[in-house]
Amino acid sequence: MFDKLPQPMAAAVQPLLLLTLLVVVFALSAPAFLSFANLNNVLTASATVGLIALGATFVIASGNIDLSPGAVMALSAVVTANYAQHIDASPVGCVVVAGGIGLAVGLLNGWLISLTGAPSFIITLGTLSVARAIAYIASGGVPVYGLPDSALIVGQGALFGIHLPVLILMVCVVMSGFTLRFTRFGQHTLHMGDDAKAAQALGINLPRLRLQIFGLAGALAGLAGLIFMARTNSGDPSAGQSYELLGITAVILGGANLFGGKASVLSTFTGLLALAVLQNGLNLLAIETFYQVLFVGLVLILSAGLRRGELGSWR
Amino acid sequence: MALEVRDLRKRFGAVEVLRGVSASFDDGTVTAILGDNGAGKSTLLKTIYGIYPVENGTVRLGDLDISNLAIRERRRQGIEMVFQDLALTRQQSVVANLFMGREEVCRPFGVLRKKKMRAVALQALGKLGITIPSLERPVASLSGGQQQAIAIARALLDDPKVLLLDEPTAALAAGEVSKTLALIRSARQEGKVVVLVTHRLNDVFEVADRVIVMKHGSIFSDRAVTETSPAQVISEIVS
Ligand SMILES: Nc1ncnc2c1ncn2[C@@H]1O[C@H](COP(=O)(O)OP(=O)(O)OP(=O)(O)O)[C@@H](O)[C@H]1O
Ligand SMILES: [Mg+2]
Repeated sequence: MFDKLPQPMAAAVQPLLLLTLLVVVFALSAPAFLSFANLNNVLTASATVGLIALGATFVIASGNIDLSPGAVMALSAVVTANYAQHIDASPVGCVVVAGGIGLAVGLLNGWLISLTGAPSFIITLGTLSVARAIAYIASGGVPVYGLPDSALIVGQGALFGIHLPVLILMVCVVMSGFTLRFTRFGQHTLHMGDDAKAAQALGINLPRLRLQIFGLAGALAGLAGLIFMARTNSGDPSAGQSYELLGITAVILGGANLFGGKASVLSTFTGLLALAVLQNGLNLLAIETFYQVLFVGLVLILSAGLRRGELGSWR
Repeated sequence: MALEVRDLRKRFGAVEVLRGVSASFDDGTVTAILGDNGAGKSTLLKTIYGIYPVENGTVRLGDLDISNLAIRERRRQGIEMVFQDLALTRQQSVVANLFMGREEVCRPFGVLRKKKMRAVALQALGKLGITIPSLERPVASLSGGQQQAIAIARALLDDPKVLLLDEPTAALAAGEVSKTLALIRSARQEGKVVVLVTHRLNDVFEVADRVIVMKHGSIFSDRAVTETSPAQVISEIVS
């Protein structure tokens, strides 16, 4: 029905309908919903999951799954908190350390997948445990509290009234959207997810591509860990628990093919907003958290049902 | 610029699939390779193209030893292959498939030159007489014959020196077969080295200059097409 539209827009139509529906429902039932302050908060709250969803867009586009980002967030939060307390609390220094830790774990993921030939699901399930464990061991099991103010800017600062996490998310959305759709790296990612054997047969260097894709996803997760740290003013080893699943949920709500070859950042972003709006709206309506989780699950299953036959399903 | 292989060997575990294959393929010549299922025909082509590393022996293109080059580099040297399974990424567009692994980009970020690729693709398809509804459509939306045509167009896109064809007509209707054979003839006229693996004797006697029969990973016979007959080729394959 939407095949006259340019591809990324057509792909974003369904999550957009979902998003519109949610926005209308909540705007009518909770008047505070459409206020600038509330929208600013909605986006701030979803910035961390958003960064993970962006990485997951590339990973899923390439036919892989990355289960490690939540744990990478925790590792990044713990290490960066220690770094900020003892070495350098400048925002730039924190960004470099947090992004660098994420990048390192991501590169390790990509390297191990190529080395072992094992599915990314298994390797990243392994690094999930390892990264989470190191976060606990490094912190002695307790959150690192009391960070210098300058280390918190990334999470608590604002520009023109817009919270920094929102701005960071926006910049990353634009950059990764451009990268996936308009660069050779993005095109190769889609080729690989579509048919890795074909991509290899045409001379695409899959091991190198895996390093790039998982490195990118890792760096974004590291950045998410920094934002989490700065917003909560602590390096918490339990940070980001199951955030990778929320990220994947956003990508799938956006209509990506879970088996690779089809994904778009615009669609992921729309899916992310739908998730965020759903949770925020239910909050405003004072509905308990347990029910929010329930609704997220139901919306995901419903949207998968509506798109049957498009998602690489077996029917 | 002839293509030459010397003493190629390849084993998959305990099975020796190529047992010392030597042959040379001349410019402007179509060489057909026939043989029973599992004779090693695809393996030979894939070893020449670079899918399988050369474990033993050499592959030369003119004066250049390409045995240790990666696929990318062999393609840059002018070796192209059409695969038995086509190797298309079916959710991607026709243009994306035509330029897979060889995209036109601007440095330093590798931004795709989409306009340029569209223009080149349009021109190339036009030259080959291939008509498809839209370059932006995913390949999955094309018919089997059109997909086959895209795979061949991709191999011809950059004016290769060597064209390795693995069963390019196996899945085609009669009309499409003759179109493909016409493309093979014009490739020969342009002086390309063409190696054609096929099960269809008709194709062989229509376009090939030379017939090689493979058996259990070795070359069993190697003759000019004028010196053999369909009956003789069949008897060599099954003997
Ligand atoms: N990747 C692989 N791993 C293990 N064995 C393989 C592999 N590829 C091919 N073989 C084996 O090598 C032998 C030759 O295979 P090949 O594909 O070269 O045959 P072919 O002559 O192209 O046959 P066909 O006419 O069926 O296409 C077969 O016995 C096959 O089972
Ligand atoms: Mg074969």
